[in-house]
Amino acid sequence: MFRNQYDTDVTTWSPQGRIFQVEYAMEAVKQGGCAVGIRNKTHAVLAALKLSQDADLSSYQKKVFKIDNHVGIAVSGLIADGRILCRYMRNECLNHKFVYESPLPVARLVRDVADRHQVATARSWKRPFGVGLLCIGHDQTGPHLFQTCPSGNYWEYYAIAMGARSQASKTYLEKKLDDFEKCDLDELVKHALRALEESCGTRKADDKDGKLTKQNCTVALVGEGKPLLVLDGDDIAEYVDAIHSEQEEATGAAAAEAEMSIDTSQGGDGAGDLPSVPTQAPTTETGAAGGDGQAEEQQPMEEG
Amino acid sequence: MSGVGSGYDLSVTTFSPEGRVFQTEYAGKATDNGVPCVGVCCKDGAILAVEKPEETKMMLPNSNRRIFTVSRHCGMAVPGKLPDGRQIVSRAQQEAENYKRFYGETIPTKVLTDRLANFCHVFSLYWHLRPLGSAALTASFDDDGPHVYLSETNGVSYRYYGIAVGKGRQGIKTELERMKLDQMTCKEALKAVCKCLIKQRDDSSNKKFEIELAWISEETGREFVRVPADLAKECEAAAKKEIEQEEDDDSDMEG
Amino acid sequence: MIPHCQLPSHIATGPHVSPFVSHNEAGAPYGDHRSEDVHVPANPASVPFAVAPSTDKGEVAMGEPRKHTTTPYVTGNSVLAIKYKDGVLMACDMLGAYGSTKRYKSVQRIIRVNDTTIVGASGEISDFQYISNLLEELMTQDFCYDDGCTMTPSEIHAYLCRVMYNRRNKMDPLWNSLVVAGVDKNGKEGNKSFIGSVGMLGTSYTDSHVATSFGNYLSRPLFREFQRDDMSLEEAVSLMQEALRVLFYRDKTSINKFVLAKVDGEGVAISKPFALDTKWDFKAFMNPSKHAVGSW
Repeated sequence: MFRNQYDTDVTTWSPQGRIFQVEYAMEAVKQGGCAVGIRNKTHAVLAALKLSQDADLSSYQKKVFKIDNHVGIAVSGLIADGRILCRYMRNECLNHKFVYESPLPVARLVRDVADRHQVATARSWKRPFGVGLLCIGHDQTGPHLFQTCPSGNYWEYYAIAMGARSQASKTYLEKKLDDFEKCDLDELVKHALRALEESCGTRKADDKDGKLTKQNCTVALVGEGKPLLVLDGDDIAEYVDAIHSEQEEATGAAAAEAEMSIDTSQGGDGAGDLPSVPTQAPTTETGAAGGDGQAEEQQPMEEG
Repeated sequence: MSGVGSGYDLSVTTFSPEGRVFQTEYAGKATDNGVPCVGVCCKDGAILAVEKPEETKMMLPNSNRRIFTVSRHCGMAVPGKLPDGRQIVSRAQQEAENYKRFYGETIPTKVLTDRLANFCHVFSLYWHLRPLGSAALTASFDDDGPHVYLSETNGVSYRYYGIAVGKGRQGIKTELERMKLDQMTCKEALKAVCKCLIKQRDDSSNKKFEIELAWISEETGREFVRVPADLAKECEAAAKKEIEQEEDDDSDMEG
Repeated sequence: MIPHCQLPSHIATGPHVSPFVSHNEAGAPYGDHRSEDVHVPANPASVPFAVAPSTDKGEVAMGEPRKHTTTPYVTGNSVLAIKYKDGVLMACDMLGAYGSTKRYKSVQRIIRVNDTTIVGASGEISDFQYISNLLEELMTQDFCYDDGCTMTPSEIHAYLCRVMYNRRNKMDPLWNSLVVAGVDKNGKEGNKSFIGSVGMLGTSYTDSHVATSFGNYLSRPLFREFQRDDMSLEEAVSLMQEALRVLFYRDKTSINKFVLAKVDGEGVAISKPFALDTKWDFKAFMNPSKHAVGSW
């Protein structure tokens, strides 16, 4: 990469006022599997794409964690770093619950964890956390969705995606942003999964060629009167099947109407891939953040 | 001349032959290149304003704040690197709380800002730390009236009638110098501050901006609060209108 | 049934009273007597309401247990609180008693914590001042976060439980019985009243009506009989006044100078000090020795 004399130490500023080590840590986030979050006035949901070393032989790396009954996170980047932050967040929630017998407001939790990110960017004996978090939660001010970054920044969103090829997911989310408000929970989950599927490229690790399966993704949801629920495997099979059959119907209808034009159905929102057609959806490639491709193969630390 | 590439600018514990500590200067660049922040002290209170580029519409409005409350009588805007700035804010909150606990009174602004300058300074003294890429633009109202202070990352802290940091600070400062701040009320100054910020915008980029405003005055009961959304909008709109008016006048004169 | 009586106008429209500043009408809560010397007897152990001499670690003799406060100095007595239709009422007198001396007569023992919560205290006044400072710090933190979250009465109650229990486990208790009352506006099904109590050992409970110290014996029987969660404000106020009157008659460390505080959906109102009508010319009082021959 662009090696220069200011980029090896987290305590060294560049003459332009940048800290390269932090920026490099942010690259690690972009290489983790994609995670998507959406919220509306009542609920917040997460969907995350899990990676595995070898789809046939290994299990998938877990990357959605329950923090408390009202908070959950999805992690992109170095999952091991994410678990440290996860433990920290669980502790914060427990301490708050012990003292106040009530759930910790989500915004305050996220600010605390972002401050921890920052500390790791300012000490010579530390390195920045190589993870971004999507954090959903529900408290007295309603549902929330936050994203944190290795730099210690955090933002609150209606909908956001992060990780490898997340640009494709973001494009979907931006397009559908106005629909989320009136969605019920089921529809919100489906939106999250559809957005997530946008980010599935063809990877060696998932042999499904750009398809979600019940094995390679996880969903988490939380809302008013609904404690955090993490759905895996068979629990999400229904949702995954539902979005796939909807897509097939849509392509079927489109095909009947436009008489054989697979190209257009792919070009749209990339929802047109039939399982039997292992194509590369053009949108996903163009949308991928730069520098993804080659680094995925190397995996210096376990990404997820 | 030593400087970039000379090797004298890699550590905060290294002086250059001319007696400069480049690392603190570089850290200052983070503030200089960051979002513009303005603080003004009026006759009845003080105002803080930050102009931020509007990010995606997927982000919640008013969610990425740069103005924080330190104590009931005191607030702070953070230019530059926001995460670094939050560390200063947390420290300020602790200092204010400790002072109150120990002395039973609110912390005088001078004491607070001096302590914050010290806090920032510590980060420029040791090889294992880095200077913070932010600063503390403090507005408060204590027994001596309203104050605006700027405590910088190199460890200095001054009181100002009006001050701007970040991108376009020079232009804003010139505008501020023209105003008679000590004769203005906060309400009047709000519009004037918006005007300064809007004027220095780079029109060539098509970016949208939002202005974050907070104040403390007799009117707010000497509590540091954000300016109510409708009032803030009103001020921004009025400022825009005045600028357009002036531009029209200018072109009329030319024509 | 207790006769109805009109709510004093200053309660219904009561001014917003901040707990953290002294109010001149009520008299500075503690300040006006502060400068006077307090007589400390030579041998504290021989006098009631005295504490063991200062026990820095160095001064503790070998084998002696370390002692903190073993008795309180200036104390407040009963605090009463009841739920009613729209919220909660709390009342107590304004006495700070030094042993059996009625030493301070303008002590504000009910404080407003935030828009939905008040806390009342009996027991050591200085410890309560300390607790007030803790709560003020907590509320300042809420103010600084500026994120729309504020503490509910039950959270403040839980917090105080932790504080009290923690201090008791350090063998250095805060010598108070606290009552936390307020309205939780976050629930889905509208405002919910809350009353909880914490003792100096950390014992805590919640109920529809609560009283500390003598009030437990003198007022709660009345509450048990007459308090209902759906009673009107007028009914609740007259019940409270009756309970206060009974307390004043039978509790020698009380004075006829009370404050009444209410919390409802609108916020907190703490009344100015007021006195109740009393009647002492009962027949049995006329010639006391008549009924107690040979005693006095």
